[in-house]
Amino acid sequence: MKKLHLIIHIAIVGIIASITCSCHSVPEQTDNARGNFEALWTIIDEHYCFFKEKGVDWDAVHDKYARRIGEEMTREELFTVCSDMLDELRDGHVNLTSSFNTSYYRKWWSDYPQNFSKRLIEESYFNFNYRQTGGLMYGLLNENIGYIYYGSFTSPVGEGNLDNVLYFLSAAQGLIIDVRDNGGGNLTNVETFVARFITEPTVVGYISHKTGPGHDEFSEPRAITYNPADIGRIRWGKPIIVLANRSTFSAANNFVSVMKLLPGVKVVGAVTGGGSGVPFSSEIPCGWSVRFSACSMLDAERRSTEQGVSPTEGCAVDLDPLDALQGKDTILEFAINLFQSDND
Amino acid sequence: MKPHLIFTILLLCVTSLLNAAENCGEKVTEVRPVFAAYTAEFGSAHLTDTYLTPLKYTGWHAGIDYSRYQSMKFSPEKWTMRLHANLGVDKTDNPARNASMWSVMLSFDWGMMRKFHPLPNLTLAAGGSTGIDVGCLYNARNGNNPASAKASWTVNLTGYAAYRLNLGRLPVTLMYHPTLPVTGVFFSPDYGELYYEIYLGNTSGLAHCAWWGNYFSLDNLVTADLHFGNTNLRVGYRGKIFSSEVNHITTNIFTHSFVIGVSGEWISVNPRKGVPPKISMIPAIY
Repeated sequence: MKKLHLIIHIAIVGIIASITCSCHSVPEQTDNARGNFEALWTIIDEHYCFFKEKGVDWDAVHDKYARRIGEEMTREELFTVCSDMLDELRDGHVNLTSSFNTSYYRKWWSDYPQNFSKRLIEESYFNFNYRQTGGLMYGLLNENIGYIYYGSFTSPVGEGNLDNVLYFLSAAQGLIIDVRDNGGGNLTNVETFVARFITEPTVVGYISHKTGPGHDEFSEPRAITYNPADIGRIRWGKPIIVLANRSTFSAANNFVSVMKLLPGVKVVGAVTGGGSGVPFSSEIPCGWSVRFSACSMLDAERRSTEQGVSPTEGCAVDLDPLDALQGKDTILEFAINLFQSDND
Repeated sequence: MKPHLIFTILLLCVTSLLNAAENCGEKVTEVRPVFAAYTAEFGSAHLTDTYLTPLKYTGWHAGIDYSRYQSMKFSPEKWTMRLHANLGVDKTDNPARNASMWSVMLSFDWGMMRKFHPLPNLTLAAGGSTGIDVGCLYNARNGNNPASAKASWTVNLTGYAAYRLNLGRLPVTLMYHPTLPVTGVFFSPDYGELYYEIYLGNTSGLAHCAWWGNYFSLDNLVTADLHFGNTNLRVGYRGKIFSSEVNHITTNIFTHSFVIGVSGEWISVNPRKGVPPKISMIPAIY
């Protein structure tokens, strides 16, 4: 039996040693007002990608809002302080989500004219007689100009959808792609769409990610190359005008930045909303989730588009409410006139 | 009397020579039975992956496991091999219990061990193995970073201690089998790298050389085989630790589970050749 005891002892020592030995520790998080505040501040501090570009002193932000934290505060009060702190980032990709509210920095679009009414397009230009497929609304305008409205890149668009849409519009003299109020979505949908407008592999931008928790730790920007649509698919080689407004955000902002640098493409309307940071998610001890910009995407000329993409020179237009009352979309009219003047 | 005595002695010699000749003509076949164990495991899981969340998730673990031991052909008395596969699933919740994280891990390894018999009824074995682990942690609440993929190829230290005893009239084999990766290669994205960027073709810096400072894993298996007949009831404990830290991303996967299943030693018989008349049985474990 002594031998048996020896074996059992060896096994127990092995198990205990294995449990206690070299595991990599993760700091404990405390679920109280201070602990949740610090956890949120640290997540942003270590992962957010636009501190330098936006000139945000995150340490100063900590000092400013840490004073508002008290151990007796309610969850609602804590949420308000945390939301206010996140608003300092001026980023539409930053949200704090609890069971009772989601924080959202709205000034990136609320301080600007909306410049879009979908009803105006549907009623005045198509008399509600338009086609739609795969997230696309499309039709031929009276001036023999094709029109596609893509309202959200969260709606997937298939190759078959695009073949049908572009074939239907193939007799048009030009194409208007309207991404006003498109709040973004899936970047792969951008790639699928853009592939119809290029004829060779094209560098459409760059992406850079954080390599560590420091504010300046970034990878070398890596080129993003899109390939043209497969042979046999319908591609568009005629002039294109992209319509954008301030609510053109995130993946749609990326779409505009890509299209703007393609030959034969003009951007008409207003400066887009930005949102070029691809968001990551995390969470704090009380269970609230936080979303924030983590990877920076640059355009093909390595410029940041976080503050938005400007229209082509001479193509900045706002929607005139008086025009709208007369059933006219000033931005769309500008684009139509641009096609016609180019043809003259 | 003398002729009779001489005849008897001659007869005995001839008989014994004939017997010897007969024995020499029959080849003794070495048979290496397979010791296999099929088990299920149920227990607790503790997951942390800072690529997904800084919080520690806790929940349940379940898995199925297959182990196959057999003495090696080249030196069956001294060397044995083990083939092992394990599929584990964990479902865990965050401390606030409003988010879940799943883990699915598949392990496969093969190794050889040198057997020693320091004491009667005790067999110790030590050797090496190589294996792959692939899997994924998935946190549904995350938008662009919902998953953290795991993949590794490792070279491991492994071995076992097996002790035979009787509990009353019931033969029992106690066994402790640890597996400890020493080095290898494992996958990890960069600190803030999206899988979308990998999809775009950025595959640089994804493979990392494993050593105990950045990759520690230990699989402890303690079992008791209760020999009720030809098949054994296997009960035991598995404690599995996985801990990695690379690119400022820390992953901890700890599971503790109760193991139950069957084990047994089986011989493969070729029906065309039949069972050899003389065999020498070389057990896989002992």
